[in-house]
Amino acid sequence: MVDLTLIIAGPQGGGIESAGQIALKTFVIKGYNVIGTREYHSNIMGAHSYYLMRVKDRRPGSVRLPVDALLALDAESVFTHFSDVREGGFIVYDPATAKSRIDQIQPMATPLKERLRRFFAERGEKPTVEAAIKAAEEHGVIPVGLPLKTLLKRVAEEAKTPPASVSKTVNTMGLAATLYLLGVEPEIVEKAIALQFARKEKVVKVNIIAARIAVEYVKEVIGAKARLPDGPHKGKQRMIASGNDVVGMGKIVAGLGFISYYPITPSSDEALYIEKHNYIAVPSDAVGELGYDKLSIVSIQTEDELAAVNMAIGAALAGARATTTTSGPGFSLMNEALSLAVEAEVPLVVTLWMRAGPSTGMPTRTGQQDVLHAIFSGHGDAPKIVIASGDHVEAYYDAIKAFNWAEKFQVPVIHLLDKYLASTMVSLDREDLDPEKIVIDRGKLVEKPGEGYKRYEITEDGISPRARVGDAVMYVTGLEHTPDGKATEDPVAREEMMFKRESKMKVVEEEIPEEDKAVLLGDKNSEIALVSFGSNKPIILDALELLRDEGVTARFVHVRLLSPFPGRLVAEILEGVEKVIVIEANLWGQLATLLRAYAGIKPQHSIVKINGRPFYDNELAGAIKRVLETGEERVVVRGGA
Amino acid sequence: MARSWLDYKSPAWVQWCPGCGDFGILNSIYRALAELNIDPEKLVVVGGIGCSGRTTFYVKGSNAHALHGRAIPLATGIKLSRPELTVIVSAGDGDLLGIGGGHFVALGRRNVDITVLLYDNAVYGLTKGQAAPTLPAWIQTKALAHPNIHDNVNPVLLAFASGYTFIARGYAYHTNQLKEIIKAAIRHRGASLVDILQPCPTYNNVMTNKWYEERVYYVDQDDPSYDPIIRTAEDYKIKLPKIMEKLMEFGDRIPLGILYWNQAKEPLEDRLEKLMPGFKDAPPGTRKISVNGKPFLHPFDVFKDRVIEVP
Repeated sequence: MVDLTLIIAGPQGGGIESAGQIALKTFVIKGYNVIGTREYHSNIMGAHSYYLMRVKDRRPGSVRLPVDALLALDAESVFTHFSDVREGGFIVYDPATAKSRIDQIQPMATPLKERLRRFFAERGEKPTVEAAIKAAEEHGVIPVGLPLKTLLKRVAEEAKTPPASVSKTVNTMGLAATLYLLGVEPEIVEKAIALQFARKEKVVKVNIIAARIAVEYVKEVIGAKARLPDGPHKGKQRMIASGNDVVGMGKIVAGLGFISYYPITPSSDEALYIEKHNYIAVPSDAVGELGYDKLSIVSIQTEDELAAVNMAIGAALAGARATTTTSGPGFSLMNEALSLAVEAEVPLVVTLWMRAGPSTGMPTRTGQQDVLHAIFSGHGDAPKIVIASGDHVEAYYDAIKAFNWAEKFQVPVIHLLDKYLASTMVSLDREDLDPEKIVIDRGKLVEKPGEGYKRYEITEDGISPRARVGDAVMYVTGLEHTPDGKATEDPVAREEMMFKRESKMKVVEEEIPEEDKAVLLGDKNSEIALVSFGSNKPIILDALELLRDEGVTARFVHVRLLSPFPGRLVAEILEGVEKVIVIEANLWGQLATLLRAYAGIKPQHSIVKINGRPFYDNELAGAIKRVLETGEERVVVRGGA
Repeated sequence: MARSWLDYKSPAWVQWCPGCGDFGILNSIYRALAELNIDPEKLVVVGGIGCSGRTTFYVKGSNAHALHGRAIPLATGIKLSRPELTVIVSAGDGDLLGIGGGHFVALGRRNVDITVLLYDNAVYGLTKGQAAPTLPAWIQTKALAHPNIHDNVNPVLLAFASGYTFIARGYAYHTNQLKEIIKAAIRHRGASLVDILQPCPTYNNVMTNKWYEERVYYVDQDDPSYDPIIRTAEDYKIKLPKIMEKLMEFGDRIPLGILYWNQAKEPLEDRLEKLMPGFKDAPPGTRKISVNGKPFLHPFDVFKDRVIEVP
C-alpha cells in the first residue's frame, strides 16, 4: 500500500505554493488520494515556507513527520528540515549552498539558529549545509544534489531566453527531480504542470523544459528509478480543494447572496474564492423555476470587521443569505454585533477561522484557541449556535447547514474552523460534495407578511414569522422590544422576550440531529475515550489506526456542536469509560472546560499542541500511548518546523 | 395614492426633550416622504444609537435600529441586497463622525444610494452632554468640566473628501427648507449627506437657536448664481472653487442649502449591475435560492478551477 510523505520547502515567493499544488495534482492524476498543508510566515517574500503532503490509496487524514523526501530549494530549507527525513528517504538540494553557514541566513528565526548552532557544536562541526547533509546521511538519508544554476542555464538555452527569465522554474526543476525519485513518470508531472498554469502557454512550455532537464540530470546521477504503481482512483473527475475553498463552495451552493469581509489570514482566501465565483450561470433546467439565469453574489471588502459584520446583518435583514468570514482578532471586533444579531434575531452566519493567538499571535499558524471566545462572544445573555467541522466534507455541508439553522432558528451561527483546515488541500470526489444530500430550509420566512405584521410575535416555539425588511412596516432593533419591535424597558415585556429567545435554543437542541452534535467513532466499547473537535478528527482516526496495530483501542468522541453544547449526549457516549483524554490545540483546556461545565465529565488527561502546527497522526499515537503508560495529566506534542 | 405626512407617523411616543431640534427634523422627514409619496413598506430608516436614532421608531417604515456607529454598514447591507428600497440613515454627530467615522468615510467611497441625515447638535445628548466631534474647540457646554480641547470636524468637507455625491446643510428649525433639502437628498442616486444643525436645549447651552440664527444663511439666497450641480468634468473645473469655499465655511457665517451635487457619478448599485448584469432584477434579498427545496448547483459543475479530469 502506497503511503508517501513529502516536504517542498523554500523561501516565500519562491513558488512553494505552486510546486505544492503541482505535486498534489500529479499524485491525483496518478490515481491517489492526497492531503497537503501549507506552512508559511506572516511575510510576503523571503521567509521560510513549506508544503507538507501525504499520498495514499485511501484518503489520508493527516500529514506527518518524518517524510520520504525533502525538496530543499534553499539553504534555510536544508537546515530547517534535514532531521525530518526518514532513513532511506531523499533530500534534494542545491550543492551550491553546501558552504552556506547559518549566520548567513537572515530570514531564519534566531531561536532555530541557536538550536542548530548547539547541535553542530556538540558534533564538533561548523553549522553549514554540508554538515547538515552529513548528519542526515548518517541517519541513512540519501542526498541528491541538483545544481540549480547550471541546470537553469540549460533551460534558458533550450527555451532560447535569457537565464533571468527562467529563474522562476527552479521550483519546478526541484519538484520534477523529487517526484522522479519517488517513482512518478515525468509525463504525469508535465500534465500537472499544464493544469497548474492553464492558459499560460509560455509558462507551461518553459516549466516543462525545466522539468525534463532536471529529470535527465537525476537519471544520470542516480540511475533509473522503480516506477510507482498507479493508484486506484483513475478514470474519473476529481477535485483538489482547500478548507477555504470548500466553505466558499458550500456557501454558494447554500444560496449565498451577500458576503462582506475585512482581509485577515486565514479567512481571506475563502472570501476571495467566493468573489472569484460571484457571478454564476444558472443551470438551464433551473432557470424556469428560479426566474433568473445569472446568479450574482454581492461581495464587499469593508473598511473593518465592524462594517463587515454589520453589513452582513443588514443583508440578512433584507432577506439575503448573508455572511462574513474572519479570524480571532476580527471576531473580537465583531462581538458587539453578534449580540445585536441575537437580540434582533438575525440569521447571520459568521465563519471563524481560528489562528494562533492571543492578540496578533502567529497569524499564519494554526490553533484551536477560540472555542470559548466563539461560544461566549457578545455581551448579555447571547445564546447562539457554534458548529465545528472535522474535515473538508463536513466543512462543506456545515457551511450549508449554518444558513439553514440561522434562518430556521433566527440566531447567529458561528462556523468554527482553523488555519490548518483553511490551507490544507485534499482530493475529493463528486459524491463528497453532493448537494442532493441536503435541503435548503429557510424556516419561517414569510413572502407576504400583510397588515399588522409583528416581527417578534410570541409563538409557541419562540420563533416568529420572519419578513424581509422592505416587505412590511416593521421595526427591527437591538433594544429590548415588544412583539412589534418597539423599544421597551417594561419588566414583563422584557422577561417575555428573554424567554422567547431562550425557548428558541431549546428548539435548536431538539431539532439539530445527533450526528451534528457529537459522533462516536473508533472502538465503541473501549474503556479509554478520546474527546476532541474540529480538524483533529481525521488525524485522530489515523492515529487510532496506528494504535490498533499495536493493540491499543479507544473510543473517539468527535464533538461537532459546541453551542448549545450537547452535554447529555456526550455524557451518554462516555458512559462506562475509565479514562478520558481530551485532544485540543490550546493550553487552557477549552474543550475540557466545556466537558466539565456541560457534561459533568472531568477529563483526567489532555494532549495538546500549541506550537502553531497541526497534530500529526504518529506523534498523536505516541502521545496517547504515553498517557496510557505514564498516566501523565498533560502531554504536549511538538512536531513541525 | 397620494399620502399625507400622517401616513408616516408611527403611534410611538416621541421621547425627545421639549424644544429639541429633532422634532423639526422628524417633521421635515414626514413631509418630505409624503411629498415624494414613498411606500412605507419600501422605506427603511436605519437609526444609530442616541436621541436621533430613535427616529427609527417614529417613522412608519420597514426600519432597523443599528448599533452605535454602525447604521451606515447596516444600511449598506440592506440597500445592496434590495436596491429597490429607499434607505435613510438617521444618526447623530457622535455616532456618524465619532465611533462610526470610518463607515462615514467608506460610504462616500462606495457612493451607495443612501441618504444620511446627520443630526448635528455638537453634543452627546443621551449620555448627558459630552462633547461630540462637531463641537468647536474651547467651547464649554454645561456638562463639560473644562472647555473642549478637541477641534471640530467639518462634516460637509469630510463628506466631499470621502466622495459623497450630494452634500447639503440644513437647520432643524427651518422645517420647510429642510424638507426640500431632504427630498432632493432622497431623490439623488448616490451617497447623500444632509448635515442638520440643531440646538440641544438641554445640554448645548452655547450653540443655541440664537447662536445659529446669527450665523446661518442660505447659499442660493445669498448668491442666486450659486450652482452646486456637477454634470461634466468641465462643470467640476468651473464650479469647484466656489463650492469648496462654501464647504469650508463654518464660523461667523454658516452656509445652508445644497452645497454640492454631483450627478455624473454612478452609484455602487450601478457598478454591481455593470459587473453582474441581472443583479438588480434578481437581487440577493428577494431571489429564490432553491429548486424544490434543494440547492441547484453542484460544485463539480461550477468550480471548474478545482476540478481535475483523471485519465
